[in-house]
Amino acid sequence: MENINKTFGKVEAVSNVSMTVNNEEILGLVGDNGAGKSTLVKILSGLFRADSGKIYFKRKSVKITSSTKAMDIGIETIHQETSLVDQLTVARNIFLGREPTKKIGFLRKLDMDYMRGESTRLLGRIGLKKVSPDSLPPALSGGEKQSIAIARAMYFKASLLVLDEPTNHLGIEESERVLEFVKEAKKEGTSSIFITHNIHHVYQIADRFVVLRNGKKVGDVRKDETTIDEISNLIIGRGIGA
Amino acid sequence: MRRYKKIPEHPYRSVLDKRKSKEASRLTLLYPAFGIGRPFRYLLEKFTLHRALIPFTLLIVISLAFDFVNPGFLSAMNLGNMFPYISELGIVAFGITFLLACGELDLSVGAVFGFCPIVLFILYNDRVMGFEPAFILVLGIAALIGLANGLLVTKIRIPSFLTTLGMMTAFQGLALYVSHGFAQTTFLTESPIKTLLVGTFKIGDFTLYAGIIWFIVLMGLMYFVLNDTKFGNWISATGGNLQAARARGIRTDRVKIILFILTAVLAAFAGVMDSIRVSSAWPTAGQGYELEVIAMAVIGGTSLFGGRGSIIGTVLGVILLRFVSNGVILAGLPGLSYRIFVGLTILIMMTIHVLMERRIRRES
Repeated sequence: MENINKTFGKVEAVSNVSMTVNNEEILGLVGDNGAGKSTLVKILSGLFRADSGKIYFKRKSVKITSSTKAMDIGIETIHQETSLVDQLTVARNIFLGREPTKKIGFLRKLDMDYMRGESTRLLGRIGLKKVSPDSLPPALSGGEKQSIAIARAMYFKASLLVLDEPTNHLGIEESERVLEFVKEAKKEGTSSIFITHNIHHVYQIADRFVVLRNGKKVGDVRKDETTIDEISNLIIGRGIGA
Repeated sequence: MRRYKKIPEHPYRSVLDKRKSKEASRLTLLYPAFGIGRPFRYLLEKFTLHRALIPFTLLIVISLAFDFVNPGFLSAMNLGNMFPYISELGIVAFGITFLLACGELDLSVGAVFGFCPIVLFILYNDRVMGFEPAFILVLGIAALIGLANGLLVTKIRIPSFLTTLGMMTAFQGLALYVSHGFAQTTFLTESPIKTLLVGTFKIGDFTLYAGIIWFIVLMGLMYFVLNDTKFGNWISATGGNLQAARARGIRTDRVKIILFILTAVLAAFAGVMDSIRVSSAWPTAGQGYELEVIAMAVIGGTSLFGGRGSIIGTVLGVILLRFVSNGVILAGLPGLSYRIFVGLTILIMMTIHVLMERRIRRES
């Protein structure tokens, strides 16, 4: 992303922010509430349009005008508690927006057998063998739901995962499961942007950190060149060593 | 054990599977007052799995009760008399079921039901145009009303309750204005479409209107769309979790606009059917139907808050409310009191649905 700007009325949500994500890298995008993280993510996932700036994906300039467009080029976004639809079964949720169909006469019917079969395999792969593809999300834990959302992105071969506060509202064990999953995705060649205001969650898995404050980028550091205290200080705007 | 395997994909199956695995059923603990045991638990699980069983059971009970009080209730003649009303309101209720499932509602269906036939027969009776083009024109007008509703809700972001309340009032007023408050005769109509819409046929002792065929065909089609197609999935996702649906690339505004258009066109279609069958188009026709069709859908198990729709449930809701209105009169109760019983039926059904929903959430 290069020189991204976004304003809402007189409020400058994102101001001249540039950042890159490398191949097979987990980037921690951190900042306090209102720092501009979510706005940046929404621009990347096609929910908002930037006022100015450019986005390059795999070295090519792209225009992300909708969520469909973002998914088509390989960017999958996972939001905090809202990734699954409670009223749809797990199988229907996994394939939501990309439902396979089969022809019956002149009609096209959902291919439920295929959806169930693939979902069962996917659930098995991520260690949720006990979860039926016919389960409803309210019957699952928060961590299970997020794991399914991440696995869905991996299934559709996303090149970039955008995780918007995925560990919010999760307990320690559930958060661990989600973090493990992000590492798993990296092993399979998927890069991630992990957005959080909780540095402790992302510190253990991220390779690099971009820090936002008041809509501006105030830091871009590799993990091996910094400490958790330094990043915390950048987030709240205290001088290093203060 | 086997009975769970027989059940096809169902949203609450996992909840029941979870429960099944536990040594002591929590349901038994939840209903100690019944002394319970297996039969009750089995029934309760069936009812939880198949929400439409609730209106279905009530339908059987009240049919037998009304027939006991007045043996003419289940006669071919009485049932035949009820079918036209069932099919016309049912067609409107199908559209409402879709809209409720996607998280919106439409209070203007009753006004469209009355307004479109008025326009059609003014044009036809005044020889402005033939029946067929006028019929197509009013369906087009209905589509535009639906489009306007959809655009106001999705683009201007006025809640659908207020948008369609305004639209309802405007078109009720317009129907009175263009007709000068008088009914239009419809019996002069000569057209093959008339036969298609309200032709009659006999099966044994039953005299049936073509409306029932439309009702059955639309029921099958809409059931298929809601349960077995991509679009049906998108409707439930839009109503169930708008943000998640958008994030998956579903054009939720487009889904809503299409459903507003569909609902209005179905209301106009049913209105024309009704006006030809009763030989006159009244400017006040359809008033009060908007709430009745919402009640029909909701007592059939469709959620008022979006995400879940049931076409079979709506069919049962339509029949149930019609049976109550008709049965109360045949049972010799004062004719003017029938709305009390309709209201009570709605309250009872909603109480059962809400209690069951709460139970399921607690279980999961």
